[in-house]
Order: sequence, then structure tokens, then C-alpha cells
Amino acid sequence: MRYIALRWFVDARALCAVAAIIFAGGASHHASAATQPRYGGTLVMELHAPALVLDPLKWKAGAPESAASEQIAAAVFDRLVTLDRFGRFKPGLATDWSHDEGWRRWQFSLRAGVQFSDGSALSSADVAGALQELLAGGVVVMASGTRVVLQFAAAMPDLLEQLASGRYFIFRRKPDGTLLGTGAFFVSEFTPAASGTSISRYRLSSNEKCWAGRPFVDGLEVNLGVPALRQLFDLQLGKADVVEISPDLVRRAEQEKLRVWASVPVLLYALQVSAGEGVTPRAGAGKADLREALSLALDRATMANVLLQRQAEPAASFLPQWLSGYAFVFGTENNVERAKEIARTLFGASSAGQPLKLRVDAGGDLAKLIGDRVAINARQAGISVQLQTHGAVRDGLASGAGSSAKTGEAPALRLIAWRYSSLSERAELDAITSSLQLEAVGGEPGIADAEQTYVRERRLLTERGLIPLVIMPEYIGLGAGVRDWMPERWGERHLADVWLDGKSSGSERVQP
Amino acid sequence: MSFRTKLFLIFLITVLTSVSLVAYGVTHYTQAAFEELDAQRTEALVSQFKKEFAQRGEEVVHQVENIANAEITLRMALDLARPSADPSLYVHDATGAAQDHGLDFVEFVNADGTLISSAQYPARVGYKSDWVTSAKDWKESTAFLKKEELPDDVALSLTVVRTLPVGDKNFYIIGGRRLDQNFLASLVLPAGMRTLLYRNVEPGFVASALTDPNGEAAQADRFAPIIEQIQRSPEPVVQTVNWSTNPANAETFHAIPLPGRNNELLGVLLVGSSRRELVSLTEHIFQIAGVVAGAALLVGLLVSLWVAARITRPVEELADGARDVAAGHWDTHIRVRGRDEIGQLAGAFNEMTHTLAEQKERLVQTERVAAWRELARRLAHELRNPLFPMQITVENLQRARQLETKQFMEVFNESTATLRAELANLNAIVGRFSDFAKMPTPHFSRVNVNEALREVMRLFEAQFHEVGKPIITPEFFLAEPPPEIDADAEMLHRAFQNLVLNALDAMPAGGTLAMRTAEHNGNVRIEVADTGKGLTPEECSRLFTPYYTTKSQGTGLGLAIVQSVVSDHHGTISVVSEEGRGATFRIELPQRQTGAPVDVNGVAASAQTAAADLPKPPIAVA
Repeated sequence: MRYIALRWFVDARALCAVAAIIFAGGASHHASAATQPRYGGTLVMELHAPALVLDPLKWKAGAPESAASEQIAAAVFDRLVTLDRFGRFKPGLATDWSHDEGWRRWQFSLRAGVQFSDGSALSSADVAGALQELLAGGVVVMASGTRVVLQFAAAMPDLLEQLASGRYFIFRRKPDGTLLGTGAFFVSEFTPAASGTSISRYRLSSNEKCWAGRPFVDGLEVNLGVPALRQLFDLQLGKADVVEISPDLVRRAEQEKLRVWASVPVLLYALQVSAGEGVTPRAGAGKADLREALSLALDRATMANVLLQRQAEPAASFLPQWLSGYAFVFGTENNVERAKEIARTLFGASSAGQPLKLRVDAGGDLAKLIGDRVAINARQAGISVQLQTHGAVRDGLASGAGSSAKTGEAPALRLIAWRYSSLSERAELDAITSSLQLEAVGGEPGIADAEQTYVRERRLLTERGLIPLVIMPEYIGLGAGVRDWMPERWGERHLADVWLDGKSSGSERVQP
Repeated sequence: MSFRTKLFLIFLITVLTSVSLVAYGVTHYTQAAFEELDAQRTEALVSQFKKEFAQRGEEVVHQVENIANAEITLRMALDLARPSADPSLYVHDATGAAQDHGLDFVEFVNADGTLISSAQYPARVGYKSDWVTSAKDWKESTAFLKKEELPDDVALSLTVVRTLPVGDKNFYIIGGRRLDQNFLASLVLPAGMRTLLYRNVEPGFVASALTDPNGEAAQADRFAPIIEQIQRSPEPVVQTVNWSTNPANAETFHAIPLPGRNNELLGVLLVGSSRRELVSLTEHIFQIAGVVAGAALLVGLLVSLWVAARITRPVEELADGARDVAAGHWDTHIRVRGRDEIGQLAGAFNEMTHTLAEQKERLVQTERVAAWRELARRLAHELRNPLFPMQITVENLQRARQLETKQFMEVFNESTATLRAELANLNAIVGRFSDFAKMPTPHFSRVNVNEALREVMRLFEAQFHEVGKPIITPEFFLAEPPPEIDADAEMLHRAFQNLVLNALDAMPAGGTLAMRTAEHNGNVRIEVADTGKGLTPEECSRLFTPYYTTKSQGTGLGLAIVQSVVSDHHGTISVVSEEGRGATFRIELPQRQTGAPVDVNGVAASAQTAAADLPKPPIAVA
């Protein structure tokens, strides 16, 4: 457990520097404007996601759309433990914790006096109930007084990383299915999209009884389904305080002197070679050869540096460098001639008659652009690829199998977008394996050994046909009045700490 | 078929043919004229399309030059000319330029051919576009057709390239407007016309590559022959497509090949013109022509009837006159109409009948005189035979007055006996002539012809085998079953009797007498043939003349009576004979007598029975 903290600390330094440079431009001239936090105002946020799902059980691992919900959920719910920017675990709802030598039995002591947003007290039973729902099978959660005991069938050395990230929020499920949280905010109002518009709105009010204290702002206004360009305009016009900025608009935002915050790379675009035996005319050729040919044909550097305007990095591994620490071991060789040779062995001298179907599961223009580039690169190597876009693929990776079934024909290739949500490498590997419905890649479950994780990942790439393409950060545009915007590097917000400069308080703004 | 009918039909056919030819000519040439007009209209549209095509090209040229002259483009070109330039800064600039200038396709290409930015295919950024740099000068080039590869499609583009010189290098701006259904929809077309565009992106015909202003063209496969023909030989093609059995639904398409910069076939523009209006117009003309032709035919029909009647009436009168003449009305006179050939013919006919009547009258008079002479001669001859003995007897009686009473009485008794005998002879002669003059009207009943012949032969059977005389051998060749005819049995018997007597007279040295009967076409043929001395042709021609005879003791009435009987039975009689080879008399009698009462209750068993039953005037046997 300790090594990860160190690793986080070392890795975070470099990433911090990048983000700090970006952030400095906007922040520096505001530093003198307001040094004392002040209460009041509504923080207006705009998200591209069309809907907000606050029930963690309904999130789909790796789905970018679920990530938006997770960010808002962090304002409504609390975790047992959290991780600071230096990789140190901090108490959350649990004040201390311990485990046995085999990492199988974990015991958490709960913070006293914590209340839900409706005023009811948080009990160990609530915590046990939530964890029992959220944790996968093979665990027994027991509540005892102010303590909660988790008994795992296998060793769980990375349990704290897991609980400090992702969907592991503590909640109480009410009889009507809605959830109560102990966070700084609670949902007070929902306005569905009016006819003729796709924008719906959530209003979150500050939780005066929050154990961590009242947030600075009075409330949050979360507008959903706002197109990327409109978010940028709204930020420029002062209609929004926090917006998402798509990578292709980052340069424009910078040119417009807007404040842009960037996370560590958290969004991965990857190609999944689904085709197996029989996809090519050559007998015996299959996924591995096709994956190698495609991987060599792909020009990831141009994708990242030209198409994505240097807002992304070429990716050779599934787990990012900041999470695994060994991503640099995987190479991103671009060898079109070698790819051609392999393609010739696969398809013969002439290109195969039927092009390989590339289904773009990820939504958005960016995914389409990357898919087009993949098709072009593949064509250069003599592999005919035909793009299939699925506008309805908003459910992320988990819908992959279902979508294939809908089309009636399994595509040979799939372009996926993966949003990291867990700080546990093992959990991420398990999630991607599960989401893509891949055959398990082995390894001893529960052992969070770096070497074994590396072996699992390599097998995931080579044997399960995953080709990472590019990885990119999350970009957030900040209004001029936003102060103390200090989210975690991987993107988790601390909206309770944010306050608004007086002159540009949300209450004075024109509502979108 | 009458002459009038023939003439009417000839007129009718002539009128029908003339009207049909005129109607066909009018409709054919009118249709051809409309086709020509339609073709000219389509040609005009094609010409308009070419102008519009050129105008669209000019618009693209204008917009691309605007992009090239924009400050932002110049900055981009200058920046990218630097060795350390970052082309990623301009990845999205083409999209903005395309939006700003209303173009579908915009690309920026660096001096080395590297694609810097693409509005239509951003993913291609970084790849080379060597075709741009290979051309030396794009400065004055016009718009050309280009196959534009898109991420998920291939489009046709009206493309223009302009260069922006930066130092000694060029920065290329490529702009284009898509040729698609929107382009087709923007063309202003007259009613009944439409355009389709085929993108020739693959060898052979691909139905999905054919679009019309509404999208993918319906029944695109019907255009396959046109497209494939142009693919084989890129020349304009005009072809009519029949969408259904109704010709009004057909369309005539002018297919125009659209070549690219290197004359490769990139597309085919199909300008379709509906034939509905043309067919409707043609049908209207057909209807009018039909009505006019019908009216003309009706008028022609009436005129033909009138003309035929006018022309044939004199001819019919001539024919009627000829029939009258044939019926024995020799003095028939017809009306002469006009002085034309028909009038002259009628006049000649009248003259002919007049002459014939006169000649007939003269002939009748001559024959009557001849007959009277013959009758007088015969009568004189017949009467002279008994008169001469009577004269001698009277002279003997006068001379015997001087004799003794006894002797005188002997002479007287002998003379009176002679006178009585000769007077009886005279009476018989007069009776025969009287009988011939009083030939009775036949009373018809069913008669078995074979039996009638057999009965006659039985009467003469004793004479055939009379001792001391030459033998006559009778022979019968009679039809079976026995033919029955409607006839007067007694008159028929007399006729057959006269023929047998005539045959016996002709065979003084004996011979064969043959009787033959046969049925033929409702008639019964009866032949009586002998093997006698025969007749000369002159004798044959006069044989049935009353009182003509070749025999020293004959009255010349036998065969005349036979002919009279045959005539009363509406039959015919003829004779065939060669001198020295006998003669054959042939009678043709109809089996049924029409227009006369026939006793059909019983068939007369024999002429004698019938004669006994019926009170008849005496019939002479000559």
C-alpha cells in the first residue's frame, strides 16, 4: 500500500507541473483579488453528459458518461477514506482502519456524529449496507457498533485505493430507491429538458449539517446535455463557472485567455480486435496477427500531436503511467512496411474483399475522428477497414455485447473510450476485462503486485487484442470568479472547498 | 356480289386507305415534330445545366480565392513555412474556412504536399496530396470535377485549387462544392423534367451511387444499361426508360458523362424528360385524327354509296334488260342516261333488242310459213292417199252406171265400201292432227321411272320376237333404288312408247334396244338407245320439228309429242347419234315439280293404271 503513495508522489510532481503551468495563467492575476474565502453564491456547472445518475450501482465502469455522474456524486456522498494529491490516505467517514496479515479482514472505525442530508444519523449498518451492494462477491460486511468489518475470501491489499476512488460512496437507500448522502450537497431540484432543447438541470443545495462543515457556495446548478462549444461560449459570457472543454477546444480556450484546468491523462482511446479465427483468408491467422499489423500501422504520434493538437499522448499501455508506473515499458512502434508484410500474409497480395468493420462505440466527434484515422492508417498497411458509428452507444463499454447483438454482425474491430475511475490497477484491469467481456487474463486474484499487474496487462494487450491509441487528460474551464478549485489529479472534485468571488457570484448571473 | 357492292367496296377501300394514309401522315409528322421540340427542350436544359455548372465553378473559384486572400490564410502559410512550425495549430482551420465561405470541401496543403487541415476528412491530416504539387500552375485553372474521398463515402466535388506563394514555395488551398442531391435540387427545371447524378466510383453499375434530388434514386437498376454504356464509351447517350406498360410514364434521359481533370469518367448526369405531356399531346392528336378520319369515312361511305348507285344504275338497267331479253322479252327497252359510255351502251342495247325483236318476228313468220307449208304438204300428202282411191272409186262408180244392175250393184257395193274405208282413213288422219293440237295439261303424281320403262317394253315384247322378222334384243340398265319423279304417268308412257316405236323403225334389220336410268343432281336421266342406222347431223337438228319425218309412212308427230311431254315436265331432251351407229335419246327430268300440284298419295304402278284411273284427253302415238 505504501509504494503507491510514493509512486503517486513522484509521478504527480511532473503532472502537477504541467497542470500548474496551464492553471497559472488564469490563476495568477486572481490571486490578489480575493485571498479570504467567502460564503454564498451558486456554482454553475455545465456538463456534456445528457443525464446524471447518482446511484453508483448503475454506473458503468470505464464509461466517460458515468464519470460525470461520479464527479457530481462526490459532492453528495462521502467515502470511508480518501487520497490526497500526494498519494496519502486520509480519513473520510472512517477515522481509522486496520487489517489482518493476510489482507483479508479489514476493520473500519466510523466517524461519530455524521448525519445524512435529511438529518438522520449515519450508522455502521448504513455503511455495511452500501459496501455490501458496491463490493463484488466474496466479501462479508458486518456492522458492529461504530465499526464495520469486511471479510474477504481473497487478499485485498489495495482495498484502500479501491475505496478511495470510483463508485465506493457511502449512502442510504430510501424505500423509493433514491439515495441519501452525507456529502456537502444534496439534490434539491430537477428540471427536465424543455421541449426543443436537450438541456436538463439539477440544483444541489448546501448541506448545513455536513460533518466536514458547510460548503462555501450555497448551491450547485448542474446543467446537463450542453454541447461543448456552447459550454465554451457560456464560460466566456460568464453564464457558467465550471465547464468541460473538449480537447479540440483547449487551444481556442487558451487563445481566449480562459482558465483551463487539466487532469492527469484519464481518458483512453483504444482499439479492440474482436475478430478471431476466420476473419482473414489465411488459415490459422487470427487476432494476434491482426492486432500486430494494426498496431504497427497506427501512427499514434500524429493522432496525438496533429489530430488532437497535442492535447493527448500516444498510448501503448492500458494503465496510464501515473497509475501503473511502468507504462513506458510498452512501445508505440509505427512500422507501416512491417504492417504491410503481416497484412499480406493475412489477406494475400490483394486486399481482402470484405473490409473489416470498425465500430466506434464511443460517442462524439473525437472518437469518430480517431476512428477515421485508424481506418486510414490501416488502409496504408493494406488492411481495409470500414467505419461503423453508433450514435446510440452512450452506455459505454458495458453495452458492447448488446450493441453487437443489435447489429446482428460482430464487428472485427471496436474503438472504445475508457475513463479511469479507480486508483487500483487490479480493479481497472478487472473492470476492463469484465466490460469488454474478455476472457480472464490470469494472475493471482487479490495480489496487487506490480510485476504481476504488468504481466496481466501485457496479456490483456497481446492475447485479448487491445491496442491503446491515445490517452488524454480531462480539461475543465473555470470562470473568473471560481476560487480554490483544487480537485484531485485524477479528476475528483472537492466542490465544497470552492468559493466564488463576490462580484461574480452565481446568484447575479443570467441563467442559461 | 353485285357490281354496285363491288364498286362501293372499291370506293370504300379507296377512301379508307386515303384517310388512313392522311391520318397516319399527320400524326406521324406531328409526333416527330413534338419529339423534335422535346429534344430541343432537353438540349436547352442540358445547355443550361452546363452553364450552371460553369457558374457554380466560378463561384467556387471566387470563394477559394477569397480563402487564399484572407489574412488568416496568409498567416497560416507564413507560419507553416517556418522550419519549426507546428501544423497541429491549424488542424481545424479548414472547417472554419469551409463554413465561412459556404464550401463543402476545403483543404490546406503545405508546400511538400502534406495535408495540414481538411474540412471534409480531418483524419487524413498529415498525409500527402501529391496531385496538388504535381501540377505546375493552378493560378488560372478553372473548376474541375474531382472524386472526393470522405470517411464513409466517396463524393463528387466541383473543385478549385489556388496557391499562395510564400517565398519560393507554394501553399495550396483546395476548395470544392459537393455534387449531390442538394446540387441537383438547386437546379431550376421545367415541369416534367428531373436530373439524376451517378457517381462513377466503382467499376460497373452500383445502384446506390445514383441519386436524385430526393436522395437515392428509386428503381436505379433501370439505369444500369445507360450507365454501363457510358462506362464503356464515355459519350452522351439518349435513351427512353419505360417505367410501366403505360407509355405516358416513360421518360427520355439524356446521359452526359462528367469527366475529371484527367478525363477519367467520374460521374454521369442524367437529364430526364417525362413523355407524359408528349404522349398526352399525341393521344389528343390521335383522337382528333380519329374523329376526322371517322367523319371522312362516313362521308366517304355515303358518297361511295351515292356514286356507286349513280354509276351502277344504268348498268343494272342494262343487266335487267339483258335478263328480260334472255327471258324472251325481245322488245325490252331501257332508259338511256346521258351520252357517256354507259349511255352509248344503253342505246346500243336498245338497238340490239329492237333488231332482235324484228329478226325474231321475221323468223317466227318464216317458221310459221314453213310450218304451214310443211303442214300443208303433209296434210296434202296424208289426204291425197285416201282421196286418190276415192276419186278412182267414184270414177269407177260413174263408169259402172252403164253396167248391168247386178254388175253395177257389185261395183256400187265395192265402191261404197272403199269410200267408207277411205273416209274412215281420212277421219283417222284428221283425228291425229286434232289430238296433237289438243295436248292435255299434265297431272303430276309420283311415278316409278324404271317400272314405266318396263311396262312400255312389255307392250312391244311380242314384236321383238315376231316370227319372220328380225330379232330385237331389249336391254335394261336401270338405277337402283328405282328413281321416282313427279310426272304425268300417261303422258310419260306415250313419250316412252313413241321413242320405242321410233327405235323399232330405225332397226329394220334387228338390233339392241337399251333402256338406261340414272339419278343426277335432283334429276333423273332416261336414255333410249338403238343400234339402228343412225341420224345425220341435219336430221338431228330437225328431229323434233312437228311433221318432220324421215320415214315414208310417218306423220312427223312422234318425237314432237315426246318433246312436248318432256317440256311439260320441265325437262330436256336431246339426241346423240352418228350415222350407221345408232341413236341415243336422252331425257332429263326433274325429280320434283315445284309450283304444280302433285298427287303424292300413291305412286302410279304403271302408266296404264294411271291412265285408266284418270280421265284424260286422248294422246296420240305417232
